[in-house]
Amino acid sequence: MFKVIGRGTNPIDWKQVMKNWPKGLAVFISQKTLFKTRPVIGAIHAGVAWGFTLYLLVNIIDIFYGMIPGFHFFPNHFIGDFYRFFVDVFTIIVLVGIVLFIVRRFIQKDKLLVTNEPVLISDKAKIGIKRDSLIVGMFILFHIGFRFIGASFEVAINGPDWSQPGATLVASLWDGLSPNALIFGEHVSWWMALGLILLFIPYFPYSKHAHLFMGPLNYMAQESRRSLTTLEVMDLEDEQLEQFGASKLEHLPQKELLDGYACIMCNRCQDICPAYQTGKELSPSAIEINKRYYFNENMKEFSNGAESADPLSQWMLSEEAAWSCTTCGFCIDACPVGNEPMIDILRVRQNLVLMESNFPRDAMEVFDKIENYGNPWGMSPQDREKWTDGMDVPKMRDKGKAEYLYWAGCSGAYDDRGKDISRSVAKIMNEAGVDYAILGNEESCTGDSARRIGNEYLFQMQATQNLETFEKYGVKKIITQCPHCLTTLKNDYGEIGADLEVTHHSEFISQLIKEKKINPDNTIDEDITFHDACYVGRHHGEYDAPREVLQSVLSKDANIVEMERNKEQSFCCGAGGGNMWYEIKSGKRINVERFEEAIDTGVKKVATSCNFCMIMMEDARKVTGQDESMEVFDIAELVAERL
Amino acid sequence: MKIAVLVKQVPGSESPLPMVSSQDWLDESQVAYIMNESDNYALEEALQIREKNNDGEVVIISLGPNRIQKVIREALSKGADRAIHIQTDGSYPTDPLVTASLFSETLKDENFDLIFSGLQSDDLGFGQTGVLLGELLNMSTATLAMSTEIIDNKIKVKRELEAGYFQWVTMSLPASISVQSGCNTPRYPSLKGIMGAKKKEINVITPPVMDQNQSIKKIYAPNSAKETVMVEGSVDQIVEKLVNIFRNEIKIT
Repeated sequence: MFKVIGRGTNPIDWKQVMKNWPKGLAVFISQKTLFKTRPVIGAIHAGVAWGFTLYLLVNIIDIFYGMIPGFHFFPNHFIGDFYRFFVDVFTIIVLVGIVLFIVRRFIQKDKLLVTNEPVLISDKAKIGIKRDSLIVGMFILFHIGFRFIGASFEVAINGPDWSQPGATLVASLWDGLSPNALIFGEHVSWWMALGLILLFIPYFPYSKHAHLFMGPLNYMAQESRRSLTTLEVMDLEDEQLEQFGASKLEHLPQKELLDGYACIMCNRCQDICPAYQTGKELSPSAIEINKRYYFNENMKEFSNGAESADPLSQWMLSEEAAWSCTTCGFCIDACPVGNEPMIDILRVRQNLVLMESNFPRDAMEVFDKIENYGNPWGMSPQDREKWTDGMDVPKMRDKGKAEYLYWAGCSGAYDDRGKDISRSVAKIMNEAGVDYAILGNEESCTGDSARRIGNEYLFQMQATQNLETFEKYGVKKIITQCPHCLTTLKNDYGEIGADLEVTHHSEFISQLIKEKKINPDNTIDEDITFHDACYVGRHHGEYDAPREVLQSVLSKDANIVEMERNKEQSFCCGAGGGNMWYEIKSGKRINVERFEEAIDTGVKKVATSCNFCMIMMEDARKVTGQDESMEVFDIAELVAERL
Repeated sequence: MKIAVLVKQVPGSESPLPMVSSQDWLDESQVAYIMNESDNYALEEALQIREKNNDGEVVIISLGPNRIQKVIREALSKGADRAIHIQTDGSYPTDPLVTASLFSETLKDENFDLIFSGLQSDDLGFGQTGVLLGELLNMSTATLAMSTEIIDNKIKVKRELEAGYFQWVTMSLPASISVQSGCNTPRYPSLKGIMGAKKKEINVITPPVMDQNQSIKKIYAPNSAKETVMVEGSVDQIVEKLVNIFRNEIKIT
């Protein structure tokens, strides 16, 4: 297994990984990452996991018990009694838990455990997962079951044991058996329980049960990224580099190969993936499953250096799947073992763009527009500051220097609704007397969409240009209402080496209100719902500030009514990861799915704090026929109107 | 097969177009330049022929000041093998005969089998350079190509005529063909292409000054007046009024 992982690039620093043992142990013991989604299943898993871990100790003690005549673990001592009680209780928990799991998969046939059409998933995996689950389930059931029966025979031989209530209860079944029969039963059980382990060991590397070790290890090996989506910067000048992005398994970093072994195929990532949930070809778990089944089938050849099947977009995930990802980051966030399928997707995209020039036509137009005009709308760079017409908005070129740069971004400069938001932000800053300025026509696209789509070259061109402009005006602090610009300026430019303090307008406005620099009237007396932007919430960790801003304009009769999926569980609007610019035709539109959730709250006002979300929600409002009855606002608009 | 592609750098359709004070040309310092749209298709056509034959050379020919090296590099990054930059100082010819003559002087010893050009440039729009060049070099010529196919040392060209008609002509080589936009799917350069283009040769030559038979006296932006008319009434009335407007005011027949 480690030879397979060793085929990857970016060698894992195992020393560093081992230093993370407290983090790994804490998660292993607390099982906390399982409770982010599916809490009930998580709880059952925790019981099984704790019990099974306890059995590592139990097995060692049992070997001594079987091999050394007369050995007993602290007989007639409270430590031994405590141990036996603990084992007895957890044995029952594991047995009940594993029976529930077997029932869930094979009798109830829980749909969550299956990946639907049209996702590309290996035929071997379709049968393999069922078979593997059955083998693992039966192994645990019989291993623990025989151990339990063995214990019950022992109780039957030695008389009832108050520290083993479960075993004592079962022992009553053996009433009437001869002592020899009881001893025979105990021996058979011992051999079965431990023999099953010997039988299972050779199968272990091929089984998803490997997650027992690989899961925590993977969690410990997780890279600390600046944001969920921020990749390391490519050295485009390095002439030694022949491959950009990934078209084969060996192009992926070792950590991402380890992901395949850590995956238990629970499909939690699939449950919450906006693309999968709207019927597109993408399932993040299918990526890891396909990876794993490729390892299993080609373990020997691949670990010995054979080339893997090329390209990944033929078998690991389809091209459409790669383009369907909105980079919402939820798959990474939801994974209990620290897998990062989204990062694989970004690397596959890089290969498709940088090596193959094979990507959606609409994205190509966007690249050309960014390159030629500095914005994905393809509008004149001289019109960038037109949104300020009729307003007093200071420009860097006049002011020379300002404490804050207000970065309106392309959407804030060219999109009609975006311009409304920019004017609102400027009005708020004027009102609060903030020392700020905009770059106006000197601003150029941050390169967010380019980078998420996989065009590292264009991203770096844009970054270089903008960083030069920042240098010119000594820009250190930036305020922006565009979360995509925020992530890119703060994290992706940070990865290049820039040190910028970037604040989202929700945080900034919330601070202005707290400091009483602005006092918006709280005159909204209708309930309102709030849609969390992925790049503010999941990628930037800010859930409260926009709600605080919203609260400040609500009268005491009005409330924020949350949608079913909110905050950490929020569902993407569908625009991220470049999906703003091209359309994946299959399945339902993601923005419609999300807007219907807003409709379901029964409120008539929807607030957002992201330009892309705004465009998506506005569009969905019309598509769902709510253009008369519902309204979408940015939080800044609601504040600016009430100053 | 040795193929030349004429590539021109022109102001982008969304570029600001400020004029110089003498009003005879644009203030180029503020213009966002791009590759002429139909030239991009001409390039793609050439690259596809080379790839199909698995042999040959695609050479970019471009005329203009140093700024045009941006589109030359772009063309090289898409896969052209080398380039010839006919360098002019600030003022470059606006007479297509002069342009074509400069091209023919440069290309006469290269012996190209094919010369592809865009149908017309998006700035001056004469649509003559490719044809004139073909004549000057004594080549077969065709305009408005929708597709091309090399058959036994001849080229079969599908030409777009008026009103949805097409014409197929088969011509002997060498030939100069001007290409219509939309005839193929131009590629996006790969990173390898972009990096490789930096090392490709651009032969810069300075042409002799030639007298022009025509020059630009004045340019101006057309007044765009937009008028919105609301047509009201019952459906029948609206239809009648619309037909009237189309027939008598907009004059659609």
